[in-house]
Amino acid sequence: MLTLLHEWLIAPFDYGFMKRALIASFALSLAAPPMGVFLVLRGMSLIGDAMAHAILPGVALGFLLAGFSLPMMSLGGILSGLLVAVLAGSVSQMSGQREDAAMASFFLISLAAGVMIISLGGSSVDLTHVLFGSILAVNTTSLLLIAAISSLIVITLAVIFRALVVECLDPLFLRGQGVRGSLVHGIFLGLVVLNLTAGFQTLGTLMAVGLMMLPATAARFWSKRLEGLIAVAIGIALVASTGGLLLSYHFNIPSGPAIILLAGVGYVFSALFGSQHSLRRRLRRRAAPLGAPEPH
Amino acid sequence: MADANARLRLCDLQLAQGSRTVLEHISGKFRDGAVTALIGANGTGKSTLIQGIMGMLKPIAGRVECSVPKERRAWLPQQLALDLTFPMSVEELVMTGSWPSHGALKGYCAAHYRKGREIMARLGISHLAHRPLGELSGGQRQRALIGRTLMQEAELLLLDEPFANVDAETVEVLMRVLRDMASEGATIIVVLHDMEQLARLADETVVLASGHARWVSVESVLQPLRSAAPASFLSQAIGGVSPC
Repeated sequence: MLTLLHEWLIAPFDYGFMKRALIASFALSLAAPPMGVFLVLRGMSLIGDAMAHAILPGVALGFLLAGFSLPMMSLGGILSGLLVAVLAGSVSQMSGQREDAAMASFFLISLAAGVMIISLGGSSVDLTHVLFGSILAVNTTSLLLIAAISSLIVITLAVIFRALVVECLDPLFLRGQGVRGSLVHGIFLGLVVLNLTAGFQTLGTLMAVGLMMLPATAARFWSKRLEGLIAVAIGIALVASTGGLLLSYHFNIPSGPAIILLAGVGYVFSALFGSQHSLRRRLRRRAAPLGAPEPH
Repeated sequence: MADANARLRLCDLQLAQGSRTVLEHISGKFRDGAVTALIGANGTGKSTLIQGIMGMLKPIAGRVECSVPKERRAWLPQQLALDLTFPMSVEELVMTGSWPSHGALKGYCAAHYRKGREIMARLGISHLAHRPLGELSGGQRQRALIGRTLMQEAELLLLDEPFANVDAETVEVLMRVLRDMASEGATIIVVLHDMEQLARLADETVVLASGHARWVSVESVLQPLRSAAPASFLSQAIGGVSPC
């Protein structure tokens, strides 16, 4: 029995490529879910998806200019992601159109432009690689880049955490304290772009957002507190990453979709059986009697 | 009032919403340590004046002179910008009032948590400390928000109809706390509609009508009411300019 468990759960990670994949996905699992939690709380769940499309043309241009060079592709991704965010913001400000409408327009243009650029310069294999990633081909350079970006995200998030919380809750109060809410918001969006850029190599531009959003939306069914939401989301992401890699290894399936699908299973399970607002809670809802102690 | 200390003064202030001038030639000062009631019919510019004082609305002409540091000014608007779905407890909300002393990075120490608990006790919301904001009644939420301004050690407090949709007990508690804050030296401006509340809370009154403001004593606002001529009290109070 123990041998079987070892063979299934531990032995795959004896291989260098599996070790690197695991470390990369752990780094992403620590950085991405907290961003997702804030996006969900701000009612911006789809912005992550839009930004994931927005980084594609930059990644494609980087690929066209320098081939499979992760630093170049990442740089391109960051630049085009930020550019689209700024463009969408300014168009909506100038035209009075809602920001999500401008964002939707730009991300569709980005997606088409990205796919077009890759098709012009590469093969369909390259396209698949950029769109869906290949976590099992993470080399040491990619790993270092992913770890560095993830660390930067976690540290920056820690620094702006209180400001971000107050900005989400009551932007007027923060403004009254002389802090520009738009600055906090801008830094946060920048972190989202960085995060997606770190994730595209391993999960692909289209899947990277999955590790950000699914654990965060699932966490809403388990906790009412911010710290709880972040902790649960990170936990789900870690389990989905490890499980996804193992499934990918044993059943020879693509790792990115396996990880995101597992996170999806986590979401569906949470929606059915979670401790808050889940289907199970709705069916068995009972009010606490008067005088019952406050839940902490 | 004329010689009293005032850290907040308005000098020939003109304020507009879009291209429409709402208030003009507003000059006067708000006494330190006093509660000033802002009254006037709907649409006379009470909220506009508050926005102007808080610096959220740029004056067309004239200026607001305020020597209270920005981080010691607090504003509770009528339409709260508060996101009640955000997972935050009453205690956490009150603690965010430490921003002037702690900023974005400094950790809260035990003494600050103690201060937060004392403030919640003073407002009668100790038992709600861990309750999420979304589960509070209107009155409880208002107490928690006043708790934040106490934590902030606000020296200038602007309240836009703070007693609307609030239970009677909360009105009593808030009135007591606001009077205490004023006696500790805070400048408090409060938009009121209820004349009984005005009589109990305010030290002086600013009446807004037809784009102008006039500083009058509480007594002169209440007098016409007592002499059974309620409809015209605003026009009398501002000296013949009819309210719109």
